[in-house]
Amino acid sequence: MDSEIYRLPRERLDALVERLGREYRVVGPVKRGATWVWTDVRPGTPLALDYPTSMLPPRQFFAPPRETLFTYRRDGDGRFAFEQPPAERPVALIGVHGCDLTSLRVLRAFHESSCRDRLVPGRLDRSLVVGLACWTPCLPESFCRDMGSLEAESPASLYMWDLGSVLLVRVQSPRGREVLRDATVLEAATPDELVALRKRLRARPEAFPVRLQFAPDKLATSLKAAEADILWEATADRCLSCGRCNLVCPTCTCFDVCDQAALSGGTGTRQRSWTGCQVPGFSKVAGGHDFRPTRAQQLRYRIFRKGKYMPERCGIVGCTGCGRCATHCPTHISIRDIFVQVGGGTAAGTAAGGAAVAGGKAP
Amino acid sequence: MPQLSMIPEPCRILAVTPHNARDVHFVVEAPRDFAPEPGQFVMVSLPGIGEAPFSLAALPGEGAAAGTFEMLIRRIGRLTNLITTAKAGEVLYVRGPYGRRVTWDQFEDTNLILLAGGLGLAPLRSFVRRALGRRDRFGRIDLLVGARSPDELLFRTDLLAWAARGDDVHVHLTVDAAREGWDGRIGVITELLGGLALESANTVAFLCGPPVMYRHCLRRLLAMGLYEHNLWLTLERRMKCGLGLCGNCQMDGHYLCREGPLVNWREVRHLREVV
Repeated sequence: MDSEIYRLPRERLDALVERLGREYRVVGPVKRGATWVWTDVRPGTPLALDYPTSMLPPRQFFAPPRETLFTYRRDGDGRFAFEQPPAERPVALIGVHGCDLTSLRVLRAFHESSCRDRLVPGRLDRSLVVGLACWTPCLPESFCRDMGSLEAESPASLYMWDLGSVLLVRVQSPRGREVLRDATVLEAATPDELVALRKRLRARPEAFPVRLQFAPDKLATSLKAAEADILWEATADRCLSCGRCNLVCPTCTCFDVCDQAALSGGTGTRQRSWTGCQVPGFSKVAGGHDFRPTRAQQLRYRIFRKGKYMPERCGIVGCTGCGRCATHCPTHISIRDIFVQVGGGTAAGTAAGGAAVAGGKAP
Repeated sequence: MPQLSMIPEPCRILAVTPHNARDVHFVVEAPRDFAPEPGQFVMVSLPGIGEAPFSLAALPGEGAAAGTFEMLIRRIGRLTNLITTAKAGEVLYVRGPYGRRVTWDQFEDTNLILLAGGLGLAPLRSFVRRALGRRDRFGRIDLLVGARSPDELLFRTDLLAWAARGDDVHVHLTVDAAREGWDGRIGVITELLGGLALESANTVAFLCGPPVMYRHCLRRLLAMGLYEHNLWLTLERRMKCGLGLCGNCQMDGHYLCREGPLVNWREVRHLREVV
């Protein structure tokens, strides 16, 4: 395994970006004002590999916030003809954290279990992902370690550890080896570097305080038991139905469909765009009946979808512990706190709990 | 490049019959390879306006002529306002059928009760047609129809024709309120169940109507001794894709565009969002 770990001197990052750019749309984390965003990068773009996650998750490249399903155009005979959008460039993502790598697995599992159409799985297939290890929690609300996504290193063709002066890169697929070889002379990590890497990995769990004291695979059972809990109302009382939690969530998949007509009326596009279960009107049917009318029901539904329905339907928990939803919630509704409450744990890490988990997860 | 299969087919409207001021009955050319089961639905759109799910009021070759299907569309929003002004010869854009395919072998030799409230008669009409098309395979058939007022009774021609078939199908009507001139029953649909003499263990019920109807009817049917696994509900949700992706129709963990909208009560009775 170690033999597949190579050195990537920091100054060779640009060469990797250049190499990927020959066949991919290359995106990475870049500092924008006080925040970090996933955006297109070129050689010379300062990649912020120390970024404390982004507000919008990488799913934006696999199921964009708005995308054209097809174009329609009125023919001579008055009927509409339809045309699918042209093929897009596959995407390469550089610097994807464990939580977001996990989210790509969730996206694939959801789409493949639900639908024969391979739009999103196809994009995942054609993409190239470069993972990046985290050394500290991105956000105060992050609980990736407890959800098991801190250690996630796939799906990624290359996986990087930033050791300051040098990046260590593990090749995880033939494709990854090919692009790395083109970007730099393949030079194995030195024994000293490997020792330094192991040491940092061993020490890493201490930087991630334990907040949940039950395994994520018990979430479905815990949530089922908490189905009638007054907690949903108590928490939803401060929900503003703004839907931010849905938009920033790396595993939300719901969308709306609407037509954008050109002024002439003869042409236009049918588009899908992100929406979510917390957005007012999401659960309305024709005639105005709402089958999930209260915020408590909507909140319950969102949490259940992540913790119960997705594992039951797709075999994978729908929450990665990235902490985005709680961070961007204007009233600080925290999915972690809800998990802790329904799981019967405590909100703060304890020495005992910490040791138990660290013992189990130390590399 | 894979895409989402959401491109509709142009389908010509063959006939348009208003049932009242807001409900319009359409006979439409079927899309290619269109072989739905009762309870499935189609997505119908007008480019530039939008798309919505509609139930099938008659299936090709079963009530509707081969190669055609029927829908009853209520004028209730921007899209349906426009569709209901369309005339024969104009084109609707259709894709489908979508939804769970419930096959009918399992219902053979049983009695059938169909409970339709208001617009709920639209999807259930294809159930009645299916049952009458294979009449010898079922026991007694009761169709219970409730409407707010006599004016809102839909598919009157069919109701009269079915009522004239004697023991083939027992048609029971009731309205919530009526002006003078209505000599039928006044009351809610559950009251119609009171008069039925049934071998309840061998009876299957199909329900479709406004949300308020389900709970009362289920309770009554269960009290009559029908088995939970013999109760079928068609549920309304606002599907946007029909593919099991968009999430708008999700009821607890179920995507009703795939696992519904026709659901078995025993399979969904534990769900919070069902009725």
